[in-house]
Amino acid sequence: MSTERSIDRRRFLFESGGGLGGIALTSLLGDEGLLPEGVARHHRPTAQRVVQLFMSGAASQCDLFDYKPLLIARHGKPWDPGTKVELFQSVPGHVMAAPWKWRQHGECGRFLSDLVPHLGQCIDKIAFLHGMVSKSNVHGPATFLEATGFLRPGFPSMGAWVSYALGSQNRDLPAFVVLPDGRGLPPGGPRNWAAGFLPATHQATAIHPSAADPIPNLFPPADSGLDDQEARADRAALHRLDQSYARARPGDSRLDARVRSYELAARMQLACPEALDVTNEPAHVRRAYGLDDPITEDFGRRCLVARRLLERGVRFVQVWSGADNGFPRRNWDSHEDLARDHGLMGRSMDRPAAALLQDLEQRGLLDETIVHWTTEFGRMPCSQGGKGRDHNPFGFTNWLAGGGIRGGIAHGATDEWSFRAVDGITENYDVHATILHALGYDHERLTVRSDGIDRRLTDVHGRVLYGVLG
Amino acid sequence: MGLPKLGLSVALACTGVLHAQRGAAGLWSLQPLAEPALPVAPASHEGWVRQPLDHFIAARHAEAGLEPSPEADRRTLLRRVTVDLTGLLPTPEEVEAFVRDREPNAYERAVDRLLASPGYAERQARHWLDVVHYADTHGYDKDKPRRNAWPYRDWVVEAFARDLPWREFVTAQIAGDVVQGDAHSVAATGMLVAGPWDYVGHVELREGTVDKAITRNLDRDDVVTNVFGAFQSLTVHCARCHDHKFDPVPQRDYYALQAVFAGIERAERSYEPDPAVGAARREAEERVRELEAEIARLDARVDDALASSDAPEHAALRAEASALTDLPDPPHDQRLGWHSTITRDPHAEKWVELDLGAARSIDAVVLYPSHEVFGGHDGPGFGWPQSLEVSFADEDGVFGTGIRWSAETEGSRHGDAPVRFTPSSGGRVRHVRVRSDHLFERTNDYCFAIAEIDVFVGERDIAAEASIRTSDSIEAGELWGARFLVDEVRPWTEARAHAQDHAARVADARRQIASALSLDAVRSAAAQRLDEARARLRALPPSARVYAACRDFTGEGAFRPVPDGRPRPIHVLERGDVTSKRTEAQPGALAALGHAEPLFELPDGHTEGDRRRALAAWITHPDNPLTWRSAVNRAWQTHFGRGIVATPNDFGHMGATPTHPELLDHLAQSFRDGGGSVRALHRTIVLSATYRQASTNRPRAVEVDAGNQLLWRAPRRRLEAEAIRDSILLASGCLDRTQGGPGFELFAFEDDHSPRYRYELADPNDPDTFRRSIYRFVVRSVPDPFMTVFDCADPSIPTPVRLETTTPLQALSLLHDRFVLAQAERMAARLEADGGDPIARATALAWQRSPNDDERRVLEAHAATYGLAAMCRVLFNSSEFLYVD
Repeated sequence: MSTERSIDRRRFLFESGGGLGGIALTSLLGDEGLLPEGVARHHRPTAQRVVQLFMSGAASQCDLFDYKPLLIARHGKPWDPGTKVELFQSVPGHVMAAPWKWRQHGECGRFLSDLVPHLGQCIDKIAFLHGMVSKSNVHGPATFLEATGFLRPGFPSMGAWVSYALGSQNRDLPAFVVLPDGRGLPPGGPRNWAAGFLPATHQATAIHPSAADPIPNLFPPADSGLDDQEARADRAALHRLDQSYARARPGDSRLDARVRSYELAARMQLACPEALDVTNEPAHVRRAYGLDDPITEDFGRRCLVARRLLERGVRFVQVWSGADNGFPRRNWDSHEDLARDHGLMGRSMDRPAAALLQDLEQRGLLDETIVHWTTEFGRMPCSQGGKGRDHNPFGFTNWLAGGGIRGGIAHGATDEWSFRAVDGITENYDVHATILHALGYDHERLTVRSDGIDRRLTDVHGRVLYGVLG
Repeated sequence: MGLPKLGLSVALACTGVLHAQRGAAGLWSLQPLAEPALPVAPASHEGWVRQPLDHFIAARHAEAGLEPSPEADRRTLLRRVTVDLTGLLPTPEEVEAFVRDREPNAYERAVDRLLASPGYAERQARHWLDVVHYADTHGYDKDKPRRNAWPYRDWVVEAFARDLPWREFVTAQIAGDVVQGDAHSVAATGMLVAGPWDYVGHVELREGTVDKAITRNLDRDDVVTNVFGAFQSLTVHCARCHDHKFDPVPQRDYYALQAVFAGIERAERSYEPDPAVGAARREAEERVRELEAEIARLDARVDDALASSDAPEHAALRAEASALTDLPDPPHDQRLGWHSTITRDPHAEKWVELDLGAARSIDAVVLYPSHEVFGGHDGPGFGWPQSLEVSFADEDGVFGTGIRWSAETEGSRHGDAPVRFTPSSGGRVRHVRVRSDHLFERTNDYCFAIAEIDVFVGERDIAAEASIRTSDSIEAGELWGARFLVDEVRPWTEARAHAQDHAARVADARRQIASALSLDAVRSAAAQRLDEARARLRALPPSARVYAACRDFTGEGAFRPVPDGRPRPIHVLERGDVTSKRTEAQPGALAALGHAEPLFELPDGHTEGDRRRALAAWITHPDNPLTWRSAVNRAWQTHFGRGIVATPNDFGHMGATPTHPELLDHLAQSFRDGGGSVRALHRTIVLSATYRQASTNRPRAVEVDAGNQLLWRAPRRRLEAEAIRDSILLASGCLDRTQGGPGFELFAFEDDHSPRYRYELADPNDPDTFRRSIYRFVVRSVPDPFMTVFDCADPSIPTPVRLETTTPLQALSLLHDRFVLAQAERMAARLEADGGDPIARATALAWQRSPNDDERRVLEAHAATYGLAAMCRVLFNSSEFLYVD
């Protein structure tokens, strides 16, 4: 019932947009000062925005992207990589091949497993980073490291840094939006998209497109009985009071900013529902994102909403695949049964992710949009308990596409087992530096002083991966 | 809006460019406290000065050609000082009384009233908890609640209420558990453990792994960062990976500080809030130990006799015992059985049902209690309820009256002995149901668990053929699952049954020997005295629990105390890499401060507590200039929005320099030499002429000092998140001033494998949530959405200064949040009940003044059309409510 009501409200606001000028009070004041102004770029950018697809729980490189014939040849045999192996939970089991076949795709002829066939159609747009390593093999710290550049909570998310640097492109929408998995939040929760020591403006607005209330507090609760006319009158009365309060206290820009913040809030009430409403998308687009299949529906809807937000000027959208480490498994952490659990997660991700790449390209947005597929670490080439895989921080895969990234290539490689990165070893810092570089920033110069340190997204590390930039 | 862009022009990353580390000589904050003479008040400030501190402000005004602002009007002044000292708006009655009070010392009395009020301590504690990044959950992945962190929060409130001298305040938080004195100070060490804790890294990672070492290094780093940021305003943590680039903190000194804390962990421990009870408990415990030893001595004599006995039956028992040494352990790492979901309700109904597929005649049902290994409730009998009932149904599925088992009749503590239930003969059974509505108690909640169910037809167990239904089940991987009820994996084995039988026969033999040696009477007398001593122990009120610095604790999983309580060896780590150990670090502090030896002189075999005691002494030394400067600077900040040093946790080269260095030293000296009274310090500041100025802007002064660094006016400030919430509750008449105890929860909590905190499910009308926000249960991973938009501190990291932003999300929260809407309704009800002129009463509650004509028109019109609640909503949103002049 509350769902119906909020949809009605949304539709009403959408259809009567013009009539709500009274709320917006836009004619009275501009909105200078309320929008973060951003930091001047250090060099010419190749990208304007970023969408990050974050696979929570550790997606397996050797079951998706990192093709190793040796695993197929030695499947079921004892595993001896020649060094001591320190695993998170278990002792190394036998060599385990991916439960899916591998085949070549695209002009580049790179291999993908049959778990991600749709991504095969986009492979010539993708630059794989096969030499990723992480500093932690524990989900919480490793997720923070990937999301914020630090193992500990409390640091600004990459999206917050991008919001801080680029500012907002759309006065009615937040610059940084996160779309969490419908089943729950990843390890560490909202700390992964917090602003840390940056102003709170730069923290992500979390949107749950499938929920009855996609953005908490955007509208009064459905059962509050507060109608739009009353809300409008509230604002009009408030405007009178706050204006005279501000007028009596000249020279305090915060008081004017407060008045304008209510106008911006009113505009968000129009802009957000419109951006989230996918009902007007053509049927073939909805199908392409998998909105017709219960397995792909949640991630697909969020990928489609991500595209709508990006084309409306949102700078950074983070889309999560996978929730917390609960049971039954609801993320990529497939310790027990990889075929079953990665099977579901892979299917739910493959079609929407491919659709997002293709859709962005067809709309001419991909050229200036970086798509970053990531996860906190990878998984072992040996089995855990016969059917699962344990954590692997020594080698895993990320990929980048769009926004000045060269497609159809791979940077870095793991050894013959897909166990350890041995070539082009890449840390999160390098990927972060590369994304900032594409956005026009030198990661060593984008700093903010906090607690005695000029903090950066890349801490004291990071090398731009020039090889993957076009 | 927001804060200005910082540091962009200074491209100095933590490393990046190599900077020579600058010496102590160049750093202002490390110099001894100066003894500045009071500057003579300039002519422009004739008659203005009220406190010594005003001389310093006046001198700087005069240098810059500034005049002070006139004193704020009485209503404004009381509103400001009430918020600053208590975090709440004044009531209309308080304002009226003050405005009418024409006595010359009216303001002093108002200040003294506020300083003596509970709100003062709560306000100061809130500031301090920001600095030490206190919260009630661990943070990280698996953000488990800390159910007993709050005694530290209460200790802080009480410390400010008692005006604990700063020296004791510092000492208690670093070493309160080992310094003689107030037993309550154990809770004070909650400061050391206030920050986040990586549950998975500590509990689930195996000992000896690289990740374990990283986890511990980062964990100690948080403690060192916390202590030095809070008490010394230094960023020593910059030296974790390399010598500090800017300040005189070499890596060696940093790891010396890690060594100070190398013997403690973050865990829950018991402590005695009442020293008399503690003494009685220690005495009773000692008595129990003596009697146990006496009984052990008697038993040893019997054992010796049994061991050397020539009797053939005794020899047989000995032979049997040696064959029993290799009993298999019960399974403890997988397939534990069925485990219901966890509930707060001890009488929730939980059940399992076996459908045998067809009705048959069964002879017995045997239930096996389980073991638990991870959750801290280890041991046999985990999950076994206070009572249960086994009942049976035929094909029709209608259950008859069951067979009950109850702890009351069977003995209170049940181990893992299997329990057999025999149905009345002749009946045919298809369904077996095991039901409990009086569950097993965990720490603060309840569940029901069973390891295995056997259903016997003759000698054959047919349970494996049954299909299983449950009321609910946590289904945790290979640990818990309904299917494990019939997997033939049970903690109880025949070998163990045999061992019990053997043990019974041995006991019998021992009794005979004891009787023969005439020891039985002596032993039973000792046993009786032991029972009495134990009863005395049980009769004492339980000791309290607190999450604090611990040497000795139960632990769980891989998280255990260090053996013998010896501090772990700490090494200087090259580049902070745990695999690149260099020299072993000795406990000590910083060489850059000359007031005391940096390396602590501790004897071999000293305890870890000696280390912390030495550090507390080093920090509280009268000649440590940082301690006193740091404390007064924080107090100053709470009244002017900015400290004399704008970076209260960083007095290093990268931090700000003092705007009024002589004033800082003057305050620091008076504070130190006056006994470290925080209350006196606040009193001095708020009684000053500087503090009493109006906040009005003056264009000419703006030209000279736009940032008001020289304090030619009072700063206008927005209420912090907690003050907004508390002041709304106060205005609506709902505020519950109950102090202390467990935090109230503004969320619904689900303890899954990973805990979930769901704020949207909280009831905004729950009166338990009407207490002051400092008593809120603070979740680290999922912050309260309402508080967060108003720049509430993020307890993941120390927050020495809160930002003050203005965003549309604040507008949306104040307009639509369920809390605000519910409170507006309640305030409207209050206005109705109070009678009189509701408009005037409402503005008196929100703004502490009467409305002018225009305001009255706006509010009256709004109330007439939409009701009083709508008008209250508007007031809660108004700038005048949220800002303090």
